[in-house]
Amino acid sequence: MQTEKTTDTERLDLLPRDRTTDPAGERLEDLLKRIALKKVPVSSFSRIWILGSLQAKVALAYLDCWLRGCFADIDKRQRLKNEAHLAAALQLFGTMGYLRGAVMKLGQMLANLPETVPEEFAEVLSALHFEAPPMHYALIREVFLDEFGKEPEEIFASFDRRAFAAASLGQVHRARLKSGEEVAVKIQYPNIARTIKADLRNLRLLLQPMCMTEDWQNLLDKLADIEQMLLMETDYRQEARFATVARECFTPGDGIVVPMVYEAYSTSRVLTTEYLRGRHLNEFLASAPGQELRDHFTDLMTVATMRLLYRVHWLLADPNPGNYIFMDDGRLGMIDFGCTRTMSDGEWAFQLEIEKALLDRDEGEMNRLIARACLYDSPDEMGAEQLAIVGRGIRWQLEPWLTEGLFDFGDREFFRRGIDSFVDITRKRYTRGMPLHIWSTRFILGARAIVYRLQGRCNFRKIYAQESAWGESNQTGG
Amino acid sequence: MRISEQTKQETRLRILGKAAELFVTKGFEESTTRDIALAAGLATGTMFNYFPSKETLAMTMVAEALSQGREDFQRRRTGEEDLAEELFLFIASGLRQLQPLRPFIGPVLERSLSPFPRKTVCLEGEAARMGHLDAVQEIIGRHGFTQAPDYVAMTIYWSLYLGILAFWTNDGSPNQEATQALIDYSIRMFVQVISGTGADTGGAHAD
Repeated sequence: MQTEKTTDTERLDLLPRDRTTDPAGERLEDLLKRIALKKVPVSSFSRIWILGSLQAKVALAYLDCWLRGCFADIDKRQRLKNEAHLAAALQLFGTMGYLRGAVMKLGQMLANLPETVPEEFAEVLSALHFEAPPMHYALIREVFLDEFGKEPEEIFASFDRRAFAAASLGQVHRARLKSGEEVAVKIQYPNIARTIKADLRNLRLLLQPMCMTEDWQNLLDKLADIEQMLLMETDYRQEARFATVARECFTPGDGIVVPMVYEAYSTSRVLTTEYLRGRHLNEFLASAPGQELRDHFTDLMTVATMRLLYRVHWLLADPNPGNYIFMDDGRLGMIDFGCTRTMSDGEWAFQLEIEKALLDRDEGEMNRLIARACLYDSPDEMGAEQLAIVGRGIRWQLEPWLTEGLFDFGDREFFRRGIDSFVDITRKRYTRGMPLHIWSTRFILGARAIVYRLQGRCNFRKIYAQESAWGESNQTGG
Repeated sequence: MRISEQTKQETRLRILGKAAELFVTKGFEESTTRDIALAAGLATGTMFNYFPSKETLAMTMVAEALSQGREDFQRRRTGEEDLAEELFLFIASGLRQLQPLRPFIGPVLERSLSPFPRKTVCLEGEAARMGHLDAVQEIIGRHGFTQAPDYVAMTIYWSLYLGILAFWTNDGSPNQEATQALIDYSIRMFVQVISGTGADTGGAHAD
């Protein structure tokens, strides 16, 4: 606790200050305090406010420090102006709805990064998504009347009034079709798309103080990409299309199951799929599975993600542990395709170029491609330090591609190196890059966090060879 | 010649039907009592025997819809709902019945349901308000919440409800789903107030 406090004070000391009106930085501290102590409705009000906790307040303060750090090099006048903007923007935090939770978590992660232990990192990553308030059954019924013109009981043979799982934009109920099949019905909280738009508008305002930095335009491009992805996630029809394509990518022999979508019971706000019986990661781990079983599921997860990457050029950009079902018969269920980023032909070609340079161990070409990924014309323009730090992160991401035999994703040192390079990139703010890389980073870090918790191993090279070979012989994917 | 009760009833219904059509197509403000009488095939004077004003006509429709909504609510209630859920079901059932009137009902509701003192009280509006609040009282009573005095609870409720109606009449989201979220939040807040379960129950000011 003492250590944390010291770090906090140290960070506050680093804040830019106005020597004439606020020599001790009290005004800023006061502002921070006021924002941090701002009352939020009690937790019983609804799930979205759960993060109005002490840790969230701490995270908010840290996020503020982090943002301030972004313009430590700008001249004082500009800094003052930025501070005023930042003060106003921070007030907006109080008005944020669904994004609040996500931003809080992100703030918390950025804030604690240097001290974060791998386990915490893995946990925070898995919690980083949109949260909607829980819905009671009366609200569910209204959604059904709007979407189908009928009550759930009229449509299904039975329908559980209580949700069995929370989804990022709603919740999931179990039901049984009149034809007897057990299904999972995902229902979206009303009006969430408009709330996301409003939240992102607020987020842009919040980040306005960074508009003087050279990466501002890149940041806006990334936010636009995020907004597009999130809005796509609000359309369950789109998710149904993803799930249907994904399902076709696997055969019964693969041991990977994507539940069937029941189109007749699905709309843009309601998604009905086959119900998969099994356990989530935490329950699975609680049963103290042996190494063989851990390796088995790590193998399946790797095959599943590589299959979708090489066959249809998709990144499962929200590799949340809740999206995997560990089925009792040893199969792996994959259940959520809402946050799927499809790579464009150009992006895919770039991915292949990087892979080739890596496997050829062509360092010159690697550097050239890393510079390109960060939107620089050449490694020289990018600068040696940035090239080295970003390069370390990318090479860590691609390390399994170069390793023969069993790759141990549960290796703490390996995961730790990944976090360290992510921390370095973030702290140095070498985050400029193609919008795709938000998703590929999230995809890789998220998936690695899961297999790290799983303490699993697999023959990555073999899986890569097998899955990429399909891509080479069928150039029509995507 | 005496007009039979049945004929009266039919005429009444015809006027209501024609008025609704006109309100929807021409708007409430733009439709005159003359237009309505003409459409219903009556002399304006005769129509006044049935409905003394355009506002009464509209509020009769509202009262009828809300009463229908109350019936729907009774039918749909399972008895397993908690207070917030039951209130939500009640309001949502009413709005569903009011739905056909939504294109024109805003100004009418504002005029007839306003909580401010008025010179002339629209009797139909008052009846609709009382009917609605009685049902709310009954729901709250059923769940045994009595923390706030009745008139406070009812005043807060009515303010929220009018806010919801105002928002709903102007809600451009598909199926007025923004209103659904608003009802959800409003009702949670209301239940918290009347049940005294909020974090701040005023204890700090008691010493």
